Amino acid sequence: MSGTVDWGYAEAYDDVSGEVAIVGVGDADHTAASGRTTKEIAIQAVERALDDAGLTARDVDGIMYAPFMADQLTERDFQAHFGVSQDIWVSHQGGGMRWAATAPYEAAQAIRTGQASVILNSFAVAWATQRGDMVGGPGQAHVDELYKQNLEVPFGWFPQPVYFATIARRHMHEFGTLPEALGAIAVACRAHANKNPTAVMHNKRLTLNDYLSKPFLVEPFRKEDCCLISDGGAAFLMTSVARARDLRRPVVEVAGVGLGTSYTGTHWSQQAAFTSTPQVFAGPVAFRMAGITPSEVDVFTCYDPFTIVTLMQLEDLGFCAKGGGGPFVTSTNLLHDGGGLPIQTHGGLLSHAYVLGIAHVGEVVRQLRGTAAAQVPGAEIGIYGGYTGPQASTLVLRRAR
Amino acid sequence: MSDTSAAPEARSGSSATHGSAKNRSSFPLPDLDWEPARGYWEGAAAGELRLAFCGSCGAVNWYPKPTCGGCAAAGFEWRAVGGAGTLFSYSVVSHAFLPQYRDLLPMIPALVVLDEVPGVRIVTRLVDADSSALACDAPVEVVFRALRFVGIEGEVVVPLFRLR
Ligand SMILES: [Zn+2]
Repeated sequence: MSGTVDWGYAEAYDDVSGEVAIVGVGDADHTAASGRTTKEIAIQAVERALDDAGLTARDVDGIMYAPFMADQLTERDFQAHFGVSQDIWVSHQGGGMRWAATAPYEAAQAIRTGQASVILNSFAVAWATQRGDMVGGPGQAHVDELYKQNLEVPFGWFPQPVYFATIARRHMHEFGTLPEALGAIAVACRAHANKNPTAVMHNKRLTLNDYLSKPFLVEPFRKEDCCLISDGGAAFLMTSVARARDLRRPVVEVAGVGLGTSYTGTHWSQQAAFTSTPQVFAGPVAFRMAGITPSEVDVFTCYDPFTIVTLMQLEDLGFCAKGGGGPFVTSTNLLHDGGGLPIQTHGGLLSHAYVLGIAHVGEVVRQLRGTAAAQVPGAEIGIYGGYTGPQASTLVLRRAR
Repeated sequence: MSDTSAAPEARSGSSATHGSAKNRSSFPLPDLDWEPARGYWEGAAAGELRLAFCGSCGAVNWYPKPTCGGCAAAGFEWRAVGGAGTLFSYSVVSHAFLPQYRDLLPMIPALVVLDEVPGVRIVTRLVDADSSALACDAPVEVVFRALRFVGIEGEVVVPLFRLR
């Protein structure tokens, strides 16, 4: 179905393979409601990323963030907090979601043209603290979009858990996907969170039997199919691969980036390929740029607000055939030390923290350095699949030789 | 700075496509004064399922956008269509994501494909349905019912669907 319908397109990216490295990664504390502000959380992540890279705030001459999300760390916040005054190149193409994957592409362009040399991307949320007032929360953009407000919300088709439960139901119908497949993804995320002290769900176990015995929240979803709501943030620092070789960490380079867009935006009800993501457009661009195939990937992470979104991205990125995601996740070892395809090795949005994917990128970097909490032995290539719904992006990272 | 227009969910948006739900006391009832969907509610009040069609090329225009997705012409007309269709997909919601949903639980928001207009999907809710008897692609038909929400004044007749 999705192969015969024109429902989106890939961005024409030029080749930036091997130009940019991610040299510093930092996570703020990921917590339940903490009383911290979004900017305080971001600053903590930035300080940790700088420390990780062995750089100072004075070294940073580029800042990326997402201005359309509430209270993100701007260049003025950065200068005020760290007391620095150098010229700073600014890009609004940063943050989490699909931008956590494409920020390195924008950074490569800025580094090429000499606009910046050390570029910071950060993202933070205080949604656990803000929970209840909906200000800036995950449902807000949907309820304020008038087509959705008038033609979806009155019928109860709101918010995201309902959209994606409906997609999951159709996937089950078309391909025979079983609850056990969704459960396998939730259980793998939790097992990795149990090994990761920074994960919100670090101390909570989940077996497949536990999963299957939980009540439905939005059938076919249980609460365990849905991402957390947490306070937290993360940041990463990018520079040229040449400069990265002089810094303290093993060099992790950007090998490929791709971006795909669906014509129907957030109107999922009208998306022709209802059970697909725009990764079908983004993935081939990134893999071609990196000169690899999915079979060469050692660590898989993706934006995973719901179990079905991981399942669809595994299919759409070519780790299995379309519709084969269910059998794939139930027959493949998804754990970091299982020799199969390790997924969401920090716990993902389901069990690590809901920071919209930016912590996934830091996790892949740690995996390729060999310093992750749930380390994949000998990992050399890792990916992050970014997603907003209307768009998907693929970031291929590689341990530099 | 590059373009962010491809990320509609992230934009604060223009007044044409965005309006604060909090500032409208009838929310989550539909806004009968919102021009793009006015014909949908007028049709339901008259017992008809009406969709927007391009005034130029005649293609169905759903959701009713200011310009046609096919030929880019502006302007559309409302036309009655048959209420028979199939259940494309659905979910059974047992949590009140909005407080106003509370008295409707469990509710079954659904997407329906109409026999006469197979290219688009209608967002609706299933009524008179036993959730254990449902399946994707089951035949359904439109019914017109008054929609009410706890704590919200007024009601609006809307197209809902049931198994046929
Ligand atoms: Zn037309």
